[in-house]
Amino acid sequence: MTPVLVEVLLVATAVTYATACGLFVAFLANDRYARAGAVAPRVLLVGTILHAVHITASSYVLHVCPVEGIHFALSVASLLACVIYLALRRRYRIDVVGAFVAPLALTFLLASSLVGLGPPDAHYQSAILPIHVAVNLLGDALFMLAFAAAVAYLLQERRLKQKNFEGFFRKLPPLDALDRAEHRFLLAGFPLLTAGILTGVYWAHDVETGGATSVARAVFGYTTWLLFAGVLLLRAAAGWRGRRAAYGTIAGFSFAVLVLLVYLIRSETSAAPLVAPMVTARVALL
Amino acid sequence: MIVVVGLSHRTAPVEVREKLALSADVLPELLARLSARPELSESMFLSTCNRVEVFAAAPHAEGLLAATRAVRDVLAQQGGATGDEAMAPYLYERTGQAAVRHIFRVAASLDSMVMGEPQILGQVKDAYDAASAAGTLGSVLGRCMTRAFTVAKRVRTDTQLGAGTVSISSVAVELATRIFGDLAGHSVLLLGAGEMAEAAARSLGKGARHVRVCNRSFDRAATLAGAIGGDAVQWDALADELTRADVVVASTSSRSYVVTHDVVRRAMKERKGRTLLFVDIAVPRNVEPSVHGIDNVYVYNVDDLEQQVALGLKSRASEAEAAEKIVAAELLDFESWQRGLTVAPVIVALRTRTHDLLLAEVERALTGRLKHLPDADRATLRQVIDGAANKLLHLPTTRLREGASSPDGADLVRAVVHLFDLPESPSPALVTVTAGADEAPPPDRLPH
Repeated sequence: MTPVLVEVLLVATAVTYATACGLFVAFLANDRYARAGAVAPRVLLVGTILHAVHITASSYVLHVCPVEGIHFALSVASLLACVIYLALRRRYRIDVVGAFVAPLALTFLLASSLVGLGPPDAHYQSAILPIHVAVNLLGDALFMLAFAAAVAYLLQERRLKQKNFEGFFRKLPPLDALDRAEHRFLLAGFPLLTAGILTGVYWAHDVETGGATSVARAVFGYTTWLLFAGVLLLRAAAGWRGRRAAYGTIAGFSFAVLVLLVYLIRSETSAAPLVAPMVTARVALL
Repeated sequence: MIVVVGLSHRTAPVEVREKLALSADVLPELLARLSARPELSESMFLSTCNRVEVFAAAPHAEGLLAATRAVRDVLAQQGGATGDEAMAPYLYERTGQAAVRHIFRVAASLDSMVMGEPQILGQVKDAYDAASAAGTLGSVLGRCMTRAFTVAKRVRTDTQLGAGTVSISSVAVELATRIFGDLAGHSVLLLGAGEMAEAAARSLGKGARHVRVCNRSFDRAATLAGAIGGDAVQWDALADELTRADVVVASTSSRSYVVTHDVVRRAMKERKGRTLLFVDIAVPRNVEPSVHGIDNVYVYNVDDLEQQVALGLKSRASEAEAAEKIVAAELLDFESWQRGLTVAPVIVALRTRTHDLLLAEVERALTGRLKHLPDADRATLRQVIDGAANKLLHLPTTRLREGASSPDGADLVRAVVHLFDLPESPSPALVTVTAGADEAPPPDRLPH
C-alpha cells in the first residue's frame, strides 16, 4: 500500500462524486435526462465505496485509525452522510437530496485532502477519544443530511410561494418530506452531538489553558448544540417548522463545520512532516 | 345575429373576473335586465371560475353593434361603480360566425383553462336551463346552444380530448402531492358543496384519510359527504376545521372572503405550524390572498393553476386539432340553418305577395264579370288560384331555400327581394359579413 494508491483512490472517489453531481444536475435541468435521476444514486454508491476504501488505505498508510483523531474528520463525516443518504433515500423519499449530498461529499473530501492529514496529537490520546470522534462524526454526517434537506426545503418552499411550478428545482421532493427528513436527521444527530460535547468535557481544561483555537472550538461547539437544541425545542413547543427550522438547521450546521475547520487548522500546524510526502505523490500523479 | 361579450381566464385575472361573477340567486335578475334591453332578442349568462360571458341574439343583423353595446352596459352595471372603464381592457366581443364558433368551443372545453375538462359542459347547461326558465332564450340562441351541446358530445366521443385530462381537481391533487408527497394520512376539507367541490372530492378524497364537507347549507354538505364517503360539518365549525385539515378546497359562491388572514393565523398557532394548503377554485375567491404570506400556508387560486395545466396541453394538441375540425363542421351546419332561417321571411313575403295579387285579381273578377257565379264556384276558383300559386312558387322557393344555405345565398335572396319588391328583411349577408370581423383569437396574455 503506497501513498500513490491512496492518491489514485482519492482521485477516483472525487471523479465518481463529481459524476454523481453531474447526473443529479442533468436530471434536475432537463426532462430528457430522467434516467440520470435513477443512475446518480448508484454512481454515488460507487463513490461511497471508493471513498471508504480510500479512508481505509489512508489510515493504513498513515497508521492512524480514522476514529482516533480528527485527521479524517471531514472526509469520514461526508462518507457517513453518503452512507446514511443511500440507506434512507427511498424511505424518506429524498432521492433528489443526493443533488446536495454529492457536492457536499466532494467538497469535504477535497477539503480534507487539501487541508492535510496530520499525525495524532499525543496530548489528546485517550480511551474516550474514539467514542468522542465517532459520535461527533456520525452527528456531523446526520447534520450534513439535515443541512442538505433544509437547503432543498428552502428552494422548494420558495418555488411554491412564488407559484413557480417550472424551473430547475421542480423535481425536488415534496415539501413535507424534506421537512420531515430534516427533522429526523436532526433528532438522530442531536443526541450524538450531545454525547460528543459530554465526552469533550474530558479535555475541558484546554479551554482555560489552550490557545484561541481551543476556545473557538468550544464556543462553536456549544453554539452548534444550542442552535440545534433551539430548533428542536421550538419545533416541538412553538411549531417552528418549515422555513424557520431550515434556517436554524443551516446555521447549526455552519457552526458544526466551523468546529471541524478549527480542528483541522490546529491539526495542520502540526502535520507538516506527513503532509509533504502526500503532496509530492499527488503532484507526481498529475 | 348572435353576439358574445365577456371575459375569461385568457383576458382577465381572477381579481377582475370575480367582480363580474355572480351567484345563481341573482342570475334571474341579471337575465331580466338583459331581456329588458330592446337591442337584445335573446340572452343567456354564463358565469364560471374562468369566464363570465353573455351570449345574446340581436333581433336583426344590423343590430349587432347595438346589441354588444347593450350587453357591455349591463356588464358594466354588474361590475359596480368602476364598471365599464375598468372592465373594458379585459372584455372581448364576438359576433356572427365568430360568436357561434366561440360558444361551440366553450361548450366543447376547447377554450377552457384545462382543455378537455368536463365541468364546463355542465356549467353551460346550467346557464342554458336558467335562461330557459327565465324565458330569455328564443329560436336562434336556443338552437345555437343545443347545437353547442351536440358539438361537445361529439368532441367527447370522437376525440381523446377529455381522456386522462387534467381537471382543476387533478391539478389540485398534483399541488397537494408537491407539498405533502401523498394524501395518505392527510385530511381534506371541502368548503362548498357544489359541482366543483364534488369533482375535487372525487380526486382528492381517494387517498385522503378524512374528507369533510363544510357548507352554509348543512343539508347539502351532508348530501355530498354521503356521496363521497366523508363527513359533513357545520359552517360555524370552520375555524376549528382549519386546525385539522391539511388541504382545503374552497368553492363556495360567497361574494366575500370566507377564509381570512386572521382566522388562518390563529389556526396555524393551533396547528403548531403544520403545513396547510388552500386550493381556492371559487370566483370570487374564498380565501384572502394575504393568507399565502403566512408561514407554511400555501394558497393557489384558479389562475395559479393555469401554469400547471399548460404542461398538459402540449400533449393534447393533436386531439384539440380533431376537436376544432368538429367545431368547424358543426359551425357550417349551423350557418346553413341560420341562412335558411333568414330566408324564411323572404319566402313568406313572396308567397303572401303572390297570393294577395292573384286573389285580388280574382276578387275583382268575381265582383265584375263573374259576379253571377254561385258561392260554391267562387270557392272552387279561389282554391284553383291558390293551388296554382303554390305550384308556381314551389320551385322558386325550394331553390331559394337551397341557395340561401350556400355561401353566396345572400345575393340570391337580395335579388328576389329586389325583383318582387318585397319588404326589407334582415339581411342574411350581414351574418357572414360580420363573421370574420373579429376572428382574431383572444390575446394569449393578460393585459398589464
